[in-house]
Amino acid sequence: MPRVCMIRQGVRGMGGFFRKSSGTNGNRGSEDRNAGTKGNVPASSLSSDHDANVEQLRQIYANCADVVFRPFLIGGVTKATVIYIEGLTSVKDLNENFLGVLMDPSAEDLSIQSLLESKVRISKVEKVKSCEDCVAALSSGYPVLLAEGQSDGMALGLSAWDKRQIEEPSAEASVRGPREGFTETIGVSVSQLRRILKTPALKIEALKIGSLSRTQVMIAYLEGIVDKTVLDEVRERLKRIRIDGILESSYLEEMIEDAPYSPFPQVKTTERPDTACSGLLEGRVVVLTEGTPFAMVVPTTLFSLLQSQEDYYQHYIVSTAIRWLRYLFVALSLLLPSLYVAVLTFHQEMVPTSLLITMAASRESVPFPALVEALLMEVTFEVLREAGVRLPKQVGAAVSIVGALVIGQAAVQAGIVSAPMVIVVAITGIASFMVPRYVVGLAIRMLRFPMMLLAGSLGLLGIMLGLILILIHLSNLRSFGVPYLSPVAPLKPGELKDVAIRAPWWAMDTRPHMSENDRLVRQPPGQRPGPHRKKQ
Amino acid sequence: MTAMLEKGKISAVQMSFLLYAIVIGTVIISVPATIGKHAKNDLWLSPIWASLFGMIAVGVSIGLHRMFPRLTLIQSLSRIFGRIPGKLLGLAYLVFYLILNGHGIRLYADFIVGTALPSTPILVLMATMIFVASVAVYGGIEGIGRSSQVIVPLYVLTFLIIVLLLLPDAKPNRLFPMLENGIVPSLKGAVTPQGWFAETLLLSFILPCLSDSKKAMKWGLAAVLAVMTTLVLANLIILLLYGNNVSRYVYPLLSATRYISYAEFFENVEAALVAIWVLGNFIKFSIIQYAVVLGTAQWLELADYRPLVWPIGFVMLLIGFWSLPNQMVLTQYSSTVFPYYSLLFQTILPLFILFVAFLRIRASRGGPTSG
Repeated sequence: MPRVCMIRQGVRGMGGFFRKSSGTNGNRGSEDRNAGTKGNVPASSLSSDHDANVEQLRQIYANCADVVFRPFLIGGVTKATVIYIEGLTSVKDLNENFLGVLMDPSAEDLSIQSLLESKVRISKVEKVKSCEDCVAALSSGYPVLLAEGQSDGMALGLSAWDKRQIEEPSAEASVRGPREGFTETIGVSVSQLRRILKTPALKIEALKIGSLSRTQVMIAYLEGIVDKTVLDEVRERLKRIRIDGILESSYLEEMIEDAPYSPFPQVKTTERPDTACSGLLEGRVVVLTEGTPFAMVVPTTLFSLLQSQEDYYQHYIVSTAIRWLRYLFVALSLLLPSLYVAVLTFHQEMVPTSLLITMAASRESVPFPALVEALLMEVTFEVLREAGVRLPKQVGAAVSIVGALVIGQAAVQAGIVSAPMVIVVAITGIASFMVPRYVVGLAIRMLRFPMMLLAGSLGLLGIMLGLILILIHLSNLRSFGVPYLSPVAPLKPGELKDVAIRAPWWAMDTRPHMSENDRLVRQPPGQRPGPHRKKQ
Repeated sequence: MTAMLEKGKISAVQMSFLLYAIVIGTVIISVPATIGKHAKNDLWLSPIWASLFGMIAVGVSIGLHRMFPRLTLIQSLSRIFGRIPGKLLGLAYLVFYLILNGHGIRLYADFIVGTALPSTPILVLMATMIFVASVAVYGGIEGIGRSSQVIVPLYVLTFLIIVLLLLPDAKPNRLFPMLENGIVPSLKGAVTPQGWFAETLLLSFILPCLSDSKKAMKWGLAAVLAVMTTLVLANLIILLLYGNNVSRYVYPLLSATRYISYAEFFENVEAALVAIWVLGNFIKFSIIQYAVVLGTAQWLELADYRPLVWPIGFVMLLIGFWSLPNQMVLTQYSSTVFPYYSLLFQTILPLFILFVAFLRIRASRGGPTSG
């Protein structure tokens, strides 16, 4: 059980430090499990010898040009050094509110304690006891003060660095709804959640993952609503991770998934604070990662991935209709090319005669069987799409022109592909963009290819066998213990109000059953609006 | 011995859906060709008599389950009859289900070749279906239960739509003369369907993993009644379309859908219907295979049933492929041999087992008090 020991060590060390600075909860989540693997930082405590301490830190930060060591005299008497990393610290505040005060020789009492109490105008000051603590404080932008005769250093809460402004999320745009998205700065993201849910029940636990990147990860949940077993599971899985660096939340996603070989995402990623909060209100857990605007919402189900946040902001009848349309087109994006192939290859009698004649005429000069034609066109479409996404904007337009002209027109005129095939590919492409979550669209688009092969070899039967396989997979899939197809299978009739339709808010009285014994009631029932009736 | 090989849990509703698919899965393909031969105009009555056997099977399964909760049929046999006779009887049941499924899959493959894919080898059709069913069995009962919740509603809906679309062509006067020769012809017609209904004995393999076993009786009987309603409805619509010479058709309901033609656009939907029926077949085959695999693992007292999934699937493929030379033999078998084979294994023996178990339990309870 070495893990347990490491957790304890962490809480005492740097984890404890961060707990106070960033979280409101701060009992269990903070931990620093990778402390032992950091290698070049000795866990030794600071001595009262100022020069020795400074020398030790200088050695740790050898060849780090961005670390500034500034020796000075407190009140012109006591030797001291302030250390900070350029770009992570507000130098102006450091100069005016700290160095300016300490270097003032007119102070009567020169003990650091009294200076801090009476003169230094910095709201957050923490003690650091070891080199390790110093490094942790410096890495997060806190200047560290080391003074002669003091065995504790002081970490000053003056961190400040350049960050991206809050912007509208580009991958999840909406017509009606809040326009702000998460940013790469985790503190800002957490504050966005806190601004929406102004309750102390919103708990935020912090931990650090990555032996080198020391990436801050925060688990947010609403106490009393969240399912405890899911929460424990999330905590446990995150703590299990051993990795050198986390650059994006997808690293975490792949390390905590239930079924790592599944093409379907088992985590809902979002850039929008309102989507994250709606997850919190439904009893889900939100995992925020430093350095990326994408938060993860777990557990998730297939149907919640097929919902857009804007469904809840539009009129509910409109949203219901859009949901049905979306389900239809999700099915089409998976099945349309394979249905086309199956019908043309095996079941021509299903096509009405006049339509069949038209299709046959357009296919007359096409040299490929339907399957080859479909595969060719679908691959071309995928290539065009991928090329368009990765290229710079100016070149992207050129790609789409070439694609539209070459594929859409020239190929048909040359008789290499048939016009109906182009229509099928185009509809499939559009349909796959109907999925509000990009990743789900990707999974479905990928599954289209084996489906086409099945359709080309066994016709409709092949499609059915493929669908059965997908269905079995989805039926067996779980996201943090919650069945992926819920609430359809296993059937929970009460929850269909948010899947089959989008019920109006006055009818959404209960939360989805993320757990069985937690608080399910969202609001008192019977709030359907109407003209005010006087009580008799 | 009492170790649970299956850790999944399913609800009573899912169990009910599974039962429905077990019976309807293959039956809907050939109904009511075999019934019509004896029952003529009264063929729609036969499923009502036959459903009695379904109720018996459900009752016996639940009765055994009450005496030996957490045990499947195979396990309780050893408890009731002692080790050696119990094992022998268990083996007989395993072979029975193995053959049942092999023949079921053969029926399915012949059906597909005869209707949708005439030039595809039946071996390919059987192998692909067994592959899919094996994947499902490998995933466990939970996955099959959940898939049934997606598939069965779709299945029922399609059936109802077909019936609705056929209504304009139905001629109600074909129903008459009703009971012309008394009740006997419809009873004779029930000989074949009683075997199908009694397949609900498979409930015994599902019950141990039921999360709410108190509702088992209610939902089990509901499934039998739903099957009965479906068959009565199917027989009625076929009778009203074709009159009493339905036994000429191999796949009457499928042939009937050729009548459907609306706006010169919605027509020739057989291929789609076949595709939907494949879904029901899948549930049926995976549940029987699950029962055989689980039963074999329990019979051999293994710690896990998963290693048996693929070998048993292969054996089923061989049985389906080699034990029957052609479709005529299969039809002959299902109307002359299977009803009595089934009557023995799915009705008479289970009743006997239940009786012996009842005596044993009473003896063991009564023993200490009287002595």
